[in-house]
Amino acid sequence: MKTKSKTAVRPEPASRAGRSKVNFEEVTKLIGLVDEKKLTHFELETEGFKIIIGRNPAAPVSYLVNSAPAEHAYAPAARLSQETPSFASDGEDEEPSGPEAKGELHYITSPMVGTFYRAPDPSSLPFVDVGEPVKKKQTLCIVEAMKLMNEIECDVEGTVKEIYVENGKPVEYGQRLFGIQVLG
Amino acid sequence: MISKILIANRGEIALRIIRAARELGIKTVAVHSEADKNSLHVLLAHERVCIGPAKASDSYLNIPNLLSAAEQTKADAIHPGYGFLAENARFAEICETSGITFIGPAASSIRLLGDKNRARQEMIKAKVPVIPGSDKVLDDLSEAKKIAQKIEYPVIIKASAGGGGKGMRIANSAAQLEEQFPIAMNEAKAAFGDPSLYMEKYLPKARHIEIQVVGDKKGKVIALGERECSIQRKYQKIIEETPSPFVDERLRKRMMEAAEDAAKHIGYQSLGTFEFLVDDKKHFYFMEANTRVQVEHPITEAVYNIDLLKTQIRIAAGDRMPLADDLEMRGHAIECRINAEDPATFAPSPGKIDFLVFPGGEGIRVDSALYCGGEIPPHYDSLVAKIIALAPKRQIAIKKMITALEMTTIVGIKTNLPLHLSILANAEFIKGDFDTRFLERFLSRKNGEPSVP
Repeated sequence: MKTKSKTAVRPEPASRAGRSKVNFEEVTKLIGLVDEKKLTHFELETEGFKIIIGRNPAAPVSYLVNSAPAEHAYAPAARLSQETPSFASDGEDEEPSGPEAKGELHYITSPMVGTFYRAPDPSSLPFVDVGEPVKKKQTLCIVEAMKLMNEIECDVEGTVKEIYVENGKPVEYGQRLFGIQVLG
Repeated sequence: MISKILIANRGEIALRIIRAARELGIKTVAVHSEADKNSLHVLLAHERVCIGPAKASDSYLNIPNLLSAAEQTKADAIHPGYGFLAENARFAEICETSGITFIGPAASSIRLLGDKNRARQEMIKAKVPVIPGSDKVLDDLSEAKKIAQKIEYPVIIKASAGGGGKGMRIANSAAQLEEQFPIAMNEAKAAFGDPSLYMEKYLPKARHIEIQVVGDKKGKVIALGERECSIQRKYQKIIEETPSPFVDERLRKRMMEAAEDAAKHIGYQSLGTFEFLVDDKKHFYFMEANTRVQVEHPITEAVYNIDLLKTQIRIAAGDRMPLADDLEMRGHAIECRINAEDPATFAPSPGKIDFLVFPGGEGIRVDSALYCGGEIPPHYDSLVAKIIALAPKRQIAIKKMITALEMTTIVGIKTNLPLHLSILANAEFIKGDFDTRFLERFLSRKNGEPSVP
């Protein structure tokens, strides 16, 4: 069963003030409600704030998306004064989020810490690009770690909707690399 | 020169390392598991890298990911803290060959002292007293029985690869030895992948007292006064203090000399600790050496007014011994380890911290990564805070600690604060009259069980 409730408010530029309108208790209450109504997916987006709560086992049970400009995973992390960590507990707080709601994307995440490469070598074309169809077991990228090139394969059939990391950039464990629109 | 340290640890010690590094003007990289995303060390380091899922074996013990993280962030040194990879010789070696400074001793020292039996043989060579026992790994039960007869029961059999009390068994008679030997062997094999055992005479009325040593890369070694660590449960220290109420100036000097000789003998270059058992006649015997910063290092820092972490980092960077030769102990320091556990059953108590007040004031130090709203994940050690009290005299330090603990409020999880308060109020503890089995007796009395002799 896939039930979907969605409130998409036209997004305004991100504002810290907007975020402060939603507090931890409200989020907890929302999660409880989603659980109670047995919904598998719930999204809410208001000014500067977006929450997606889902039960897809492949995705986190609940996560908050900060619609402030995406922070690079390796950027200085002295953010204690900017956000209350408790608010972001379980939070995918550094995941980029585009202006429109993503729907049901399947995420390919990095299985290790390393360097992200989109092509087998600098002179070749990327393995995949946004909009291209992909199959199971198809190589999507390389994550180089310890001088070893690890090919990262797709585990679903579908279309590449998002590529989250720039070629040659460092990636950490669990970091989103691709968003795939699953076929069917 | 070190310009950026990757901290291969979490919790309070990661924070302790960040503080030391910041004071030295060194940048820090925190690594973390998915469960520690919002842990304080992650939020306070200059950079951070997620290195794996919650399970320690896939994250904090994941050597490839740690090294990749160091490479990506251009960290030129790794501090292992304590636990996890701190005493893993292979990790130290990989760091060395990758051109990353391992902030600790040489891999060879870790390997030597990590093998408890080899360490013991090395101590004999360095003329450091060891507990009478087997000269090598025990071949079989009949050999064990022969040695036990020679050194007299009770005896303790220990895992060569051991630590943390695993694979340790006490036998009071040949019959008990027969029974315990295979159990210890299996336990050692399960815990360390190595069934090798060795034997020592068991000292029932002994104290666990350790000596801090500091060696630099030029061969200079200094030893610092003792830490009394007899208040322990299942070989886990709970309260430490310095000086020990049992150690006089003469014994201290002899122990410090022994530790210094031992460290010099093996060419030790970093912070290290030599643990001794001291019997009621003030004979001391080498037990084991720890090749890392100790949890209880703050009490030594308190009485000597020094910073051991900064010293360790500076030595790793190649500096000459930053500590003076003629340091003197001043006052008395006590540390209480606050664990997230049920004070009665000792069951771990992870969870969210809803409200938190730590003590403060003159002479009180708190080393902790707790914060209000933070989570204690269930995957790691239960130590959540160390509270350290420093006062001119032991009795005043105890009073100061009691006051500090009474003013500590941790809501959301259970802690062993009540256990600490009851120990600090105990007459034997106050008199300084205890040995390593104090807590065992104390707890069985408290639970109304027949007393342990």
